[in-house]
Parts: sequence; C-alpha cells; structure tokens
Amino acid sequence: MTDDLRPPTTSGEAHALRCADCARSDSLVTDLPPTSALPIPAEALTGFSDGVPHARRTARGVDRRTFLRNGLAGVASVYSATHLDWGSIWEAAVAEAAEPMQKSLVCVFLNGGNDGLNTIVPVSSTQYAAYEAARSNIARVIGPSAGGRVGTTPMGGTGSTLAFANAGVSGAGNNGDTKGFDTLYGDGSGGPGSDLAVFPAADYTPANRSHFESRDYWFAGALQKLQTGWLGRWLDLYGSKANPLQAVSLDSSLSKQIRTGSAPVCAIENLGGAKFQLPSMSGDANAEIAKLAGVGAAAGNDGLARARQIYGLTVDVSNRLGGLRGTQPGGGYPPNSDLSRKLQLAATLLGAGLGTRIVTVDWGSFDTHGDQLPSHDAQLGVLSRGLAAFQADLAARGIEDKVVTMVFSEFGRRIASNDSAGTDHGAGGMMLVSGSAVRGGLAGEHPGVLVDDDGDLVTTTDFRSVYQALIAEWLGGEPGAVLPGGPHPALKRYDGGSALIG
Amino acid sequence: MSLSRASARKRRRAVSAGRPRRHRLSLPPAPGKSDVDLSSMSPAMVDRLFWRAGFGPTAQDRAQWTGRPVSEAVGWLLSTPAGVAGSPGTRDGKPLDPTADDTDLVLSWIDRMVRSTNPFVERLTFFWHRHWATSRAEVSPPQLMLRQNDVLRRFADLGPNANASFRDLARELTIDPAMLRFLTGERNVRGAPNENYARELMELFGLGVTDAAGKPNYSENDVQQLSKALSGWQVDDRDPDQAKSYFTPDRWYNGPKIVFGSFGNYKYEDAVDLVLARPSHAPFLVSKLWGEFVAAPLDGATLQKLVATYTGSGLKLRPLLEQLLTQPALFASLDEPDMVKPPVVFTVGAMRALGAGVTGTSAADHLDAMGQVPYFPPTVAGWEGGLSWLNTNTALARFGFVAELVAEQKIDDVLGETASAAYDRAYAAVGSPWLAPGTEKLIRDYAGRAPSSSTKLRKERQLMLRALMLAGPDGQVM
Repeated sequence: MTDDLRPPTTSGEAHALRCADCARSDSLVTDLPPTSALPIPAEALTGFSDGVPHARRTARGVDRRTFLRNGLAGVASVYSATHLDWGSIWEAAVAEAAEPMQKSLVCVFLNGGNDGLNTIVPVSSTQYAAYEAARSNIARVIGPSAGGRVGTTPMGGTGSTLAFANAGVSGAGNNGDTKGFDTLYGDGSGGPGSDLAVFPAADYTPANRSHFESRDYWFAGALQKLQTGWLGRWLDLYGSKANPLQAVSLDSSLSKQIRTGSAPVCAIENLGGAKFQLPSMSGDANAEIAKLAGVGAAAGNDGLARARQIYGLTVDVSNRLGGLRGTQPGGGYPPNSDLSRKLQLAATLLGAGLGTRIVTVDWGSFDTHGDQLPSHDAQLGVLSRGLAAFQADLAARGIEDKVVTMVFSEFGRRIASNDSAGTDHGAGGMMLVSGSAVRGGLAGEHPGVLVDDDGDLVTTTDFRSVYQALIAEWLGGEPGAVLPGGPHPALKRYDGGSALIG
Repeated sequence: MSLSRASARKRRRAVSAGRPRRHRLSLPPAPGKSDVDLSSMSPAMVDRLFWRAGFGPTAQDRAQWTGRPVSEAVGWLLSTPAGVAGSPGTRDGKPLDPTADDTDLVLSWIDRMVRSTNPFVERLTFFWHRHWATSRAEVSPPQLMLRQNDVLRRFADLGPNANASFRDLARELTIDPAMLRFLTGERNVRGAPNENYARELMELFGLGVTDAAGKPNYSENDVQQLSKALSGWQVDDRDPDQAKSYFTPDRWYNGPKIVFGSFGNYKYEDAVDLVLARPSHAPFLVSKLWGEFVAAPLDGATLQKLVATYTGSGLKLRPLLEQLLTQPALFASLDEPDMVKPPVVFTVGAMRALGAGVTGTSAADHLDAMGQVPYFPPTVAGWEGGLSWLNTNTALARFGFVAELVAEQKIDDVLGETASAAYDRAYAAVGSPWLAPGTEKLIRDYAGRAPSSSTKLRKERQLMLRALMLAGPDGQVM
C-alpha cells in the first residue's frame, strides 16, 4: 500500500541533454527548515461531514484526536515565523472554508528555461525566413506537420504573424488530445472562450543567462535577490496570519516565490491517493466497496456503523485523490505525468475550500541544450493538455472563475540553435496566463527574431508588469507595496488595451 | 518494516491522558438479544465465542461446539494447555530470529498466534501485553521482551496454571526486567526515588485514576510512599539470555512508609498487595477484561457478581474468566456483530481463515499501518482501541493485507463456473465469515456482473470475492 503513495515516474517526459550546473533545481528554499508538520485530515477533502464543524463553524474545541480519527490524507510542512498550534491552524482553515472562495493564483514554473520561440512561432514571411535560417535543425514548418517536422497553427488576432507549434495544439497528430493551447486561446479576442493570454517575450533587461540569478529575480519579483518572494510579500500584507494552507508549494519544500517574512505558508509533496486494490488486478475494488459501505447497520451497533462509514469515506477520499498517482488518466489529464499529478492536487486543494490562495508548481526539464525536439515537444504536449484539463477540472468543481494560472520560465533560449540540435540560454521567454477570468489573446508584443545583437529575443514585456497586473486586477492589493522599483509599464496588448483580467 | 513511528512515541506521563476505557456501570443490558440459549450453542454463538476469545472459528471449532453448552467450550478454552501446530514461520525462507531483528520479534509472536492450538492463550497473553504495556522501543536487549512475554503467557495458560492469580502476575511484573527498564524502576533507589512505576501500578495496572464515584483512588503521597517500597531492584543483563532482576538491600528505602493510611516497612510484595487490596481494584480489572471481550456495557449487577467471584477466589483469573465468558451479553447482537476487531485479531484471524502462515514481513508491515505492532505499544497505557482502530488509512491497510494474502492462495480455475458457484467457492475458501444479508446480496451481484470469459478473469473474480468477504466493512467486526 505504502508504495502507492509515491509520486509516479515521469515516463514520456524524456530528459534532454542538460548543462551540468542546471542539474539541480534552484527554485526551492533550502536554508529554511519547516517549523512544524501539519496533518491533513482525510475529511479536509470531503467537507468534514462526520461531526466536525464545517460551514459557519470553527474547529474551536475540537481536539486533535477527534479531528484526525478518520485518518490522514497527507502531511503539510509548515513554514511559519511564529509558532502556530495545530488547533489554531485548522480553526483558521475551517473558518476560511466557511467563506466564499477567494481569487487564487496557480504558478507553474517550467524549470530550465523554456524555448518560447519554438512554442510561439513567428510566421510572417520575413520573420519565418529568419527564424528558419537561425535554427534549421529544430525549426517548425508553417502549416501541418510534414517531413518529420512539427507544424504550426495560426493564433487568431495576430494578423497571421504568430502561430502555436503543433506540439502544444489539440489534435490526434499534434498533442494527441482534443484540447490544447489553441482551444484555451480561442479566437484571441479576449471574449468568452478566449481564456489564454500569451506573452511571447517576457523577461527583464538586461537579461542574465544564469539559471540561478534569473530564477531568483523571477521569484523575488525584483531585479535583485531578496529574502522574500513576491507572493510571500503579498501574503505578508494581505494574507492570513494563521492559515499556512493559504499558500502551498506542491513540492518537498517551499518555493522561493511564496517565502514570506511572517505569514505562514506550507509545502505539500503529495496526498495519499491509495485505493482498495488487489495486487495484479488492473481495476480496483473502490466501486464494490462503496456499495458494501452503503449497507445500513442497526441502531446502536457503533462498531459496524463505524466500519461501513470509514470504508465509505475511504473510497470518497480515494476517488478525490485517485488520479493523483498518475497511473490512470483522469479527466483529460495526460497520464503518467508529474504535472498532471500536481495540477490535480492543486485542483483538489482549491476545491476543498481551505483558504488556499496561492499554489506553486515546479515542473519539467526545459534546459534543452541538445536533442531538443523529442524532449521539448513531449513536454509541450503535456503542458498544453494539462492546462486544458486543469481548466476543465476547475470547471467541474465550479471554481473556474476563481482561479488564474500563470506559466513562466526563468528565461527564453537563444534564437539560433546550436550544433547539438538544441538551444542555449537566452532571454525573452514565454509567459502564459490562463483562466476563464483571463482576457485571452496576444497580451504582449512579439519582438521579431532579427533585432538583438546578443542573438536573443528582445524582451517586450517586463515580467514585473504581469505580476503587477495580477496583483492589481486579480489578487487585490497595492502592487507598489509588493513589487520594488515600480510602477512598471502597463501591459501592451496587441488589441491596444492593457487589461489582463475581464 | 519501519518501526520508527513506534519508537518515536514517548511514554505518556500526564495523569489525564490514556485512561483505560471506562464502561458505564449503571446502564441496563442491551435490549433484545439476551434470550440466547447458553446450553446449546448456535453456529453464530460458536463464531462469536471464538472471535472474542480467540482469532475466529475454524470449521473444526464449528463442528465440535455447535449444539453444545457455552460452559463446555469455555471450559475447554480455559483448561487446554498452550500449544502450536504446524511448522514455524519463516521470513524469506529463513527462520525467524527475534533477538536479532525487531521485525522478526513481531513476526514470531504473530506466528505463534496463527499456529496456536488453543487460541485463547495467545489472546489473553496479548491482553496482558496491552494491560502491562511495555515497548521494545525503550527496552533493550530484546531478550527482556521475550522473557516478559513468557511470564504473560504463563498467566494466560490457565490449564497448567489453574490457580494463577492477578496478585502473582502483578508481583512478577513489578520486578520484571523489561518493566523495570521501561518504567525506570531500576533507577528507583533509596535517596533518589523514581515514582514512575508506583504511579502506573495504581493508575494503569491496578486501580485507575478514580473510582466509580469519581473519587481519586490514590494521593500523591501514596505515589511517593509506594515508590519507596518498590525501590532497590535492578536488572542484570550481562548475559541477555539469562537476564534477571535482583534486589540490593542497600538500594532499598529501609524505613517506615504510610500507604493508603497503613503503616509499615513495606517491600515490593507489600506494595502490590496494598494496591490490589483497594476496593477499586476488582471493579477496575473486571471492567477492563469485560471491555476486551464484550461490546455491551457492563451493568451494575453483573459487575458485582464478577467482582464477588474474583475477590472471593483470592484474585484468581480462571474463575473470573469462566464467569465472564459465559455471560449472555457476550452473545448480544448475534445477527450483526458489534465489536471492531483489533488489528492483531483481524490479521491473525485472516491468516487462520486462509490457512496462511508467516513467510515474510507482510503481517508486521501491515500491522504497523493498521496501528498495532505487538511489542511496540504507543504508550504505557497500551493501545486506545475500540472504534478508533478504524480510519481511512487503517481501512486501506486492512484491505491491502488481505488482498495480498488471497493473491497468494492457490486458486483453481473452474471452467464455466457459475456466479453462484464462484461465490460459494470463495465463501468456503475464506472460512465462511459473517456477512450481513444485504452485503451477501451485493457480493453475489458482483459475482454475477464480473466478467468470467477467461482464466485470468475468473481468477480475478475469485480474488475480488474473497477480499470483499474477508476484508470489506463486514469483516471488520466480530
């Protein structure tokens, strides 16, 4: 059983050749140990139906043993400047659960430096010619995939200047699914069904090609190293003083993005997703057990009533967490992917109504110095399917208008490919912001591929402008109090507007 | 197996926590079901007795005892000497080595339970382990745990030891090397008293914190004075296999003590006798034993009868247990078993039902996940037990254990086997356990629905049927 709780392997996400100093992730906080471990009751995911307070009531007076008697869904590592006792944490979480859900942000970090130029491709004739010449060994082709090369699908509202690489686009021959970047993006008008905002060259100037310097800036929301993350400072100002579940890194330790000065935050690597299962059988016994759990016990038979109630609850929790192990595709998520597991976990936590405002996800292996195509394209497929499945998952939970997802990477890659059919560290990376509340479409200018002396894309969107818009238009609060060096330039949408949300 | 969780747990010191389960003493007996015929057991009564006083019935138990009086079967359980059948358990083909490896230590006791010819002896031995909870996590060398286990078994093997009394048991445990180490009695020395054991002797082993009226059973002064009487004992473990405790007069507090208002120059035997002579002792022990075997509350009149038997016999165990196990209340709610199986009972019961022996670490691993590792009680108060055994994690562990067991069974392929025949074969293979009619119907429905067109599918149907019968919700109660 315990084996089932481990994260799945990430087959299908082949690791390309990477540079040696990039082999470790530098996005996690390493100098700050968790201050406590918070057990997450199984019923936190199912609404505390069994006598533990839910709506309009608090956990006050409920002792730990009563709270956990039905079992654990997992354990969160809590990072808090002040000591929080177990009771006050759950009191805060349960109190938040009683309130209407607040707007939340999910941050997906593409670890290693995503090659935005092979994700969003310039397809006007001049630009494409230069693009093709600079990276002939990995270039996309215009139109359908052909001759072993990945094609492109035009992005609406760009005047036929930009296209998605088909590796991230819906279709059997593309990402293999019925949804992808294209379906999220829609017509690019920002109206209904256009829920993906695209920034083709977001970064900072002058760019630093070090993974670690760059990440630190992105995570800090500043062009310097800071002790706190930009979302950590936002939490310090506007978050809860008592609920560490308000910000969750789905990882073994905390993301630098949500490192705070005082507000409590946490990291959750995994929640149990085990089910009633027989060895060597493909299916599981959950459905049958659920039926047996529904048989009524005579009044006064506490033992049998308890057995049936707990078996039923176990199936319920198991079903909510069942897909997280990645062994089975669930709700359109790509199978056997750690990204799917993390996005499903994010949706589960957000849907549980525990006051979670921020979720960080660190995923992938985008440092594609060599043999880029197989690795990068597989990951674009997973990312595009995963994002679309996540939106559908949120919609199924009725919270799609409360969650915005931001996708970013520490930098883009060089315009010209290298001789190993890969790309080296560059600038001007791709950012995506998705969600039904998001005004989709081209939200930043594409700089073209011919204009930088360093061989990099010219940064057209300061990443801090996106953060600024997310604070001002979505999370709430005063951007200037969170982001140093502001105000930052307003967004320049292709359609002339500057709004990210609405 | 990871025993780290168990070993990380600390002994409890607070007086209020971990109080033994308290039974309401004034309630009337459970309504209805009291009209059982104790002179002629039905099959359901045989099942009930052998679950509560053992690890579930065998086909032979059912054949032997159906139609016969409860008193005869109880007499057999109380007089048949301990014994084991079959060949000893192994771990990956090698003999178990309980002093070399803690997992083997755990497995060796499970193995003895599974193979026991009179399961009541092991069941009562395990009850004593719960009562005199001592953890290997804080006791080394492991030989001390085995030695204590032998002592506990002597007080459960009531055929050869028909006159065994709680007084003798308490005296032996008070100077038991493992106990002296676990509750730091070996550091209780004149001039530097250690009150650990003295307190637990009263609070957990002999009296409880308060009596039925809520009045304290002892004062802090009694704790201090009693600890002086208990001083002077140490453990000689230079040869672990011959470990023993010994008394050093110079370490003993040689002087007058006042315990419960009585005055004397008491030693450890006196300390035990003083505690067990308190009026709270008999109701305390009787209630705890009742809770081990009976789900229904203990009414005042029955309590008085049992206390009279116990005290009248000079604190002997056999007469008390004989009377307790023949109570009609033990057979309440026969249509619908109403007591949660403790993990050890569930585990050993499933192995016995399937004819499975110890061949690897699975039983110990799963017991850890179920929350009850023998030799590793979480606190000196033992395991909390009762309804708390079942939560979403332990339910998965219970099902997972049985799923592994049934998958290891040899299952013949029966071509063209009907759903009904498949159900019947599975039901016999798991020892024909109790299932509610509604549960049986649902499992039969499954048998009818499950695909059976290939050898693989027919095998899967058998596996699922067996696991649902043995480890579904109904399999959790006895």
